[in-house]
Amino acid sequence: MISHDSASHCDCAAKSTAYTAKDYKSELKPIWCPGCGDYSVAAALYRALAAIGRPPHEIALISGIGCSSRLPGYTTAYGFNSLHGRALPIAQGVKMANPELLVIVAGGDGDGFSIGGGHVPHAVRRNPDLTYLVMDNQVYGLTKGQVSPTSPRGTKSHAASFGSIEEPVNPLLYALAYGANFVAQAVPADLEGMTKIIEEAIRYPGFAFVNIQSPCVTFGNPETQVKLQKARMRNLQTEGHDATNHLRAMELAEAYGKTLYTGIFYRNPQPPPTYGSQIKDRQQALKAKTPIEALA
Amino acid sequence: MHDLIIGMAGSGGDGIVSAGESLLSAFAQEGYFAILTKSFGSQIRGGESSCRLRVSSTPVLNPGGALDVAVALNWEDFLRFGGGLPVNESTVVIYEKKSGIEPASIPLGGVKPAIVRSVPIEELAMKSAGILQAKNNVILGLLSEWLGLPRAGILEGIRKKFSKKGEDVLQGNERAFAAGVDYAKQNPLGRDMSTDRPQVRENHRVITDGNEMCARAALFAGCEFFGGYPITPATEIMEYLQREIWSHGGSLLQAEDEIAGIAAAVGASFAGTKAMTATSGPGFSLKTEVLGLASAAELPLVCVNVQRGGPSTGMPTKQEQADLFAAAFSAHGDTLRPILAPINAVDAFGLTVEAFNIAEQYQTPVIVLSDQEIAQSKVIIEPIDPARFTVVNRLKPNKGELGNYQRFGITDSGISPISHPGMRGGNYLAAGIEHDERGAPTASGEMHARMNNKRLKKLDPLKQRRDLFVIEGDPDAAVGLVSWGSVAGIAQEALRTARAEGLRVKLLIPKLIYPVAEELYTEFLASLRYGLVVEQSHQGQLHRIIRMWLNVPREFRSIAKSGANLISPQEIVELIRLLARPTADASLAHYCDLLNII
Repeated sequence: MISHDSASHCDCAAKSTAYTAKDYKSELKPIWCPGCGDYSVAAALYRALAAIGRPPHEIALISGIGCSSRLPGYTTAYGFNSLHGRALPIAQGVKMANPELLVIVAGGDGDGFSIGGGHVPHAVRRNPDLTYLVMDNQVYGLTKGQVSPTSPRGTKSHAASFGSIEEPVNPLLYALAYGANFVAQAVPADLEGMTKIIEEAIRYPGFAFVNIQSPCVTFGNPETQVKLQKARMRNLQTEGHDATNHLRAMELAEAYGKTLYTGIFYRNPQPPPTYGSQIKDRQQALKAKTPIEALA
Repeated sequence: MHDLIIGMAGSGGDGIVSAGESLLSAFAQEGYFAILTKSFGSQIRGGESSCRLRVSSTPVLNPGGALDVAVALNWEDFLRFGGGLPVNESTVVIYEKKSGIEPASIPLGGVKPAIVRSVPIEELAMKSAGILQAKNNVILGLLSEWLGLPRAGILEGIRKKFSKKGEDVLQGNERAFAAGVDYAKQNPLGRDMSTDRPQVRENHRVITDGNEMCARAALFAGCEFFGGYPITPATEIMEYLQREIWSHGGSLLQAEDEIAGIAAAVGASFAGTKAMTATSGPGFSLKTEVLGLASAAELPLVCVNVQRGGPSTGMPTKQEQADLFAAAFSAHGDTLRPILAPINAVDAFGLTVEAFNIAEQYQTPVIVLSDQEIAQSKVIIEPIDPARFTVVNRLKPNKGELGNYQRFGITDSGISPISHPGMRGGNYLAAGIEHDERGAPTASGEMHARMNNKRLKKLDPLKQRRDLFVIEGDPDAAVGLVSWGSVAGIAQEALRTARAEGLRVKLLIPKLIYPVAEELYTEFLASLRYGLVVEQSHQGQLHRIIRMWLNVPREFRSIAKSGANLISPQEIVELIRLLARPTADASLAHYCDLLNII
């Protein structure tokens, strides 16, 4: 940015205070139903942010529309509860305008894989240094129970009286196929694991995708609920998965909807240049030869 | 002659447009003013192409009506441009002899031009240069001699263009030019076609277009982010910026779609930078949801809509002013987005700077409603003086305000200081969802009403911006014109012509189209018996918007035409003549009927 006034400078380097999780929690009371998986996502995020230690005013949390997209309001960071499906392009604009910010994108499966589905591959291929947290509950909760892009075939609801006759989207496989360099899955049942994954995703230089199977207590499938996750979940790292193996990651990702893997599917050990670093290089290489006044 | 209008048409590859560009740069060197309008068939390459050039010693208001000189390399191509290249009884027609058509039977639907010359253009090109591609330089030679055009400048242009292609090619084209000159000398036109000389003869002129002016203005105003998607006829704004913005510390996103383009711009604005997007009608429709978000979250944003013929794909390379309803009314909810409409390329600079200033000052999206004619016609203008423009930045919270920050605090002006990520103590939630003064989501009807009032009231002062209106002519005239955008220059010429004849008439050009400045219109309308809103849309969209807000005189009529073929100044002058000296107590409808004006 050219014209930062003194008040707007990030004082990232000057950080000396240690932050705790509650420094990132706002006073707003969530609208989520009691028992919603998103509470755990918020808790994990607060902890991950505390571990990273950036002051809240240097963090921008951008979301779309839906239950999960209420998340920014429950943090003390700068938040933007924007439009259904548009969180990713908005976040890219934020990051491009001020690369110093820590930018996190949050939303649901409808946001990311239905109405905003067209933005995901392009965000991935640009590789901006963003963390994208999808709270995948396999249902449209805010509008009360319609099938979502990740609802399993056959899902019935009052808005799909005869059951879904569509195959669900596989968010993990999509992200891997698009070329994401960091792809992971987390579950509220394992708060500690989710915290670590979110932290690692944020620290990863480049676009990091975390699919969080965050069940809907009100409209969700009873078999996906948190208490059942504990029994079903299988940690990839505990099972010895090599997260640098892209092909194996894709094989494992195919189990989405059948086997509940948690942990990191893929982590490119040689992160390619981020969008921001390439922009910075270009800006420096082309640094203004002419004053702006000469443009008139 | 005061000015000269030349129209030329041929097949792709004939170099017609390139000949027009050569003339343009020669005229610029000599200190003339001009507008060059290019037109192509729908093919990507090849097909028919044409250009029309209006040149004058004083600033050119519009591309003009009937041609003074028409050049047809073949009649089929020429006629495809129809009303874009109008010929009348005073036109000089020059055409390719090879067509085999006799001068008396040229296919102009019964119009008998003043002079018709059939010239062996192709033969001259082959004899002099040995290549067909030199035909356009034969034409330049002919025009140079017959019309007394600046020869040195044209030759310099030819040299510049062909010097890279080798000495042989350059000499061939120079010979083609000379062959045209010789032919014209041996066959004089028998009529003086030379134009008044301009006063400034040094190189004090700039060749540009509205899109370039818009892009330059954005950078001048401090724009550091552009998000967009390719669309005719707005793409050149993005093309210019992708060359220039990086070196000024900004960045640009050619997004995956129109929505992402504007969404990224909104994100950049949230992050504290000045941001812009640009598009044309169909893309504008896609962007409207995000415009609503920018209104709700009170984020500054400039959205340029370079109008083209619509609806839908419509006529992407043609001018029309039919997106006014879309710009004013496509928002959901109770919002108001200021609309600024430039009348020419110079104005595209000033009003784009103004759009950023208004966006930043009032924390609102602002729409710049340009159009294809302004955006893509090449013009010769005087260099813009940057000292004439000020740059406004958004109001940021001070230390005290950051202590207990209320992003959407209710203030007298409706404007509350805006922080951005990175600013300690300014943390807030921006949202499309209705919110209270701190930014927390709310479902309170009372808060919703207060916030609506804040967001709308803050824009009221714009209605007092008289500098965003042009009023010209006799203040107490009974006949008044209202016109906007690229058509305003046509109305302006009609007004000046009519007044030169001693007729009493006045003209209002709103550049701030929306919100509607009721007081200013009321004052203008007070003396009117006859009012004409001249614009290029089938429904007469400005006419209808004015009627929504104001009590208009009984005889207040829309002179509206679908786009592509510009309204001509002469049409308007004829109507003014009838109205300013009414023979009986006849209605405006009666006079329009007389002139067959719909």
